[in-house]
Amino acid sequence: MNIIIPIKQVPETSNVKMDKEKGTMIRDGVQTVINPLDLYALETGIQLKEKFGGKITVISMGPPSATKALKEAIAMGCDDAVLLSDKKFAGSDTWATSYTISQSIKEMGDYDLIIAGERATDGDTGQVGPGIAAWLDLPLATYVSKIEKVDETELVVERLVEEGYQKLQMPMPALLTVVKEISHPRLPTLRGKKKARVSEIPIFTAEKMNLKPESLGLNGSPTKVVKIDFPTVTRGGTVVKVEGETGVEEAVDKLLDFLKRKELI
Amino acid sequence: MKYNPVTKEILDELKSILGEKNVFADEEKMEAYSHDETDAKVYGHMPEVVVTPVSTEQVAEVVKLANREMIPVTPRGAGSGLSGGAIPIYGGILLSVEKMNKVVELDYANMLFVAESGIITNEVNELVKEKGLFFAGYPMSLETCYLGGNIAENAGGGKAIKYGVTGRHIMGVELVTPTGEIVELGGKLAKDVTGYDLKQLIVGSEGTLGIVTKATVKLTGLPTAKSNLLVLFKTPKDAIDVVPEIMAGGLIPTGIEFMDRLSVQTACEYLNETLPYEDCGAMLLIEMDGTDQDEVELDAEKIGDMCMENRAIEVYVADNYTTQERIWSVRRNIAEAFKVTSPVQVIEDIVVPISAIPDLIPELEKISKKYDVQVPCYGHAGDGNIHAHLVKNPDSTMEHWHEIEPKALRELYAATNKLGGKISGEHGIGLKRKVYMKELISPVELELMKAIKRAWDPNNIMNPGKIFDLEDR
Repeated sequence: MNIIIPIKQVPETSNVKMDKEKGTMIRDGVQTVINPLDLYALETGIQLKEKFGGKITVISMGPPSATKALKEAIAMGCDDAVLLSDKKFAGSDTWATSYTISQSIKEMGDYDLIIAGERATDGDTGQVGPGIAAWLDLPLATYVSKIEKVDETELVVERLVEEGYQKLQMPMPALLTVVKEISHPRLPTLRGKKKARVSEIPIFTAEKMNLKPESLGLNGSPTKVVKIDFPTVTRGGTVVKVEGETGVEEAVDKLLDFLKRKELI
Repeated sequence: MKYNPVTKEILDELKSILGEKNVFADEEKMEAYSHDETDAKVYGHMPEVVVTPVSTEQVAEVVKLANREMIPVTPRGAGSGLSGGAIPIYGGILLSVEKMNKVVELDYANMLFVAESGIITNEVNELVKEKGLFFAGYPMSLETCYLGGNIAENAGGGKAIKYGVTGRHIMGVELVTPTGEIVELGGKLAKDVTGYDLKQLIVGSEGTLGIVTKATVKLTGLPTAKSNLLVLFKTPKDAIDVVPEIMAGGLIPTGIEFMDRLSVQTACEYLNETLPYEDCGAMLLIEMDGTDQDEVELDAEKIGDMCMENRAIEVYVADNYTTQERIWSVRRNIAEAFKVTSPVQVIEDIVVPISAIPDLIPELEKISKKYDVQVPCYGHAGDGNIHAHLVKNPDSTMEHWHEIEPKALRELYAATNKLGGKISGEHGIGLKRKVYMKELISPVELELMKAIKRAWDPNNIMNPGKIFDLEDR
């Protein structure tokens, strides 16, 4: 089974600082990692490969430094990687990104399955996976939490939907976006890391893929960012201060009154 | 030892020294000062009064008063100790340094800082981070513990192999002696053999020789690059056998943490984590740090290779924050996880020569079988400091537990002693282990310790009943 997994390199988000004036994230000194939700796609792919054999190719679109994320995917157990990198891709929205990635998948030829993460933790749209399926005219299942059955021509998956689960039978090739419930990502191994170190990662440019220039990058993106606004925090909270010798009792009474008024106790 | 009670007059005198708000004696407020991280039901004891001085002079006045009136004084930091060292077992005055928490000086020209002893150790690191520096001698409980407590216990922790324990970074202390004198020991000097090295005597003295009010502490260049390895082995022996190989290889890791299967499994179940522990008997978590990420990763790979050549089943690599947090959180949550499975347990931190750890493991297994207790074993393999818990079988009765606990502990300590080890590597003797220390230490060494105590504290008012009982012969 040949599997393609598109991944994204994102800033590590445990300690994000924002530039309040520009409304953008301060990227200086911030580590980049594989989008945490893509790890579930990688694990799902690797498990399928372990069961059915075949090959996994990882794709990422981004600056040359995104090679690091691709190498980490190889260290986890993927076979090959491709980086889509070109100044012309800069500023792509989800439409242009999914167009560019889908064209590179066409270039690569045969595949049975494309597995993507549910969404990226930075952009948070969840549109690129479905976008690729649309460009490639593939059957799509989003929010997949379980792959129940796979054979040569079709697969049965469970989708996590608001009311519960939805079971879908679909022909292959297909595209799945997966949620956390599907697997527990493995850690990269030393053997994998050594393999990754010597792996050559080809870079696909706009020219190489024969792309329509009007569909690329910022200019090819129908989404225009007009303004970035910070949400105002409307819940202020009430602080009950303890003052003086009898303060604790008074403060506790105030708190009890408050909770009673809100009918919480 | 006969001490005098804290009377109304004494309370008034304390208030006149410290002001009303720094003296309190109501039970409810004092309860928090009656125990540390050891079992409060077993070791806890109420003070008669709690004082929170704000200056060295106030500390000195309080101690002078206590020494004159024969009232015991128990110094206290954040209360995160694991040996009962800060528990006022004779009542008396509990002196908390919580309000003495200022940085006195950041002296970058000499790569050091001076701070009061009640500062949270981690806060110093936040302050000096922008200069690319850190205090390298901090223990695992870094987000809560105070500098004064670190010094009193000579705390260790997960980075000790490369950076050493707290004592290695303490250049000087300001001390209030048990008779209420203020003295500076050591200072900003890199070398100093002018008489006995008394500051190092204070390091690890568990508050029995005085109260540290300020300390001069060395700073170290902050590593900016990190790589971790999680190495799986078939047996604990295989895992431990690699450690001396690594240490002799010339690349010094920041830490080598050992976790047996029981520890990993319990922590993983607690965290809903899925590290592949099924086929392994033990894991090593090895951390390398430095200033160049590529270089650090290559060094880590060399150590990984060494492990593979020495019977490792698999080596996992964590080069970024996400994966590093995943594996470290397993290590950090072991103690917490066992509290959930069985809240009754004793946490021991025996230390043996590194090469003796493999021989210790079968001894732990014997104790586990004989007394029907779980003995998860994990800790700082790189320096031989192993955390062996005795965890009560949840199905057994408390009576049974109280009966077997001292017996099992004695066997654990005897086994440690036989291997050339000691009963505490970093948690201290305090209240909890003094009976056992007495049984194993050389009488000559114990008498020397007592002689020092008598010389420093003639009335035995400074944290009495810790490490040893002065009066028993």
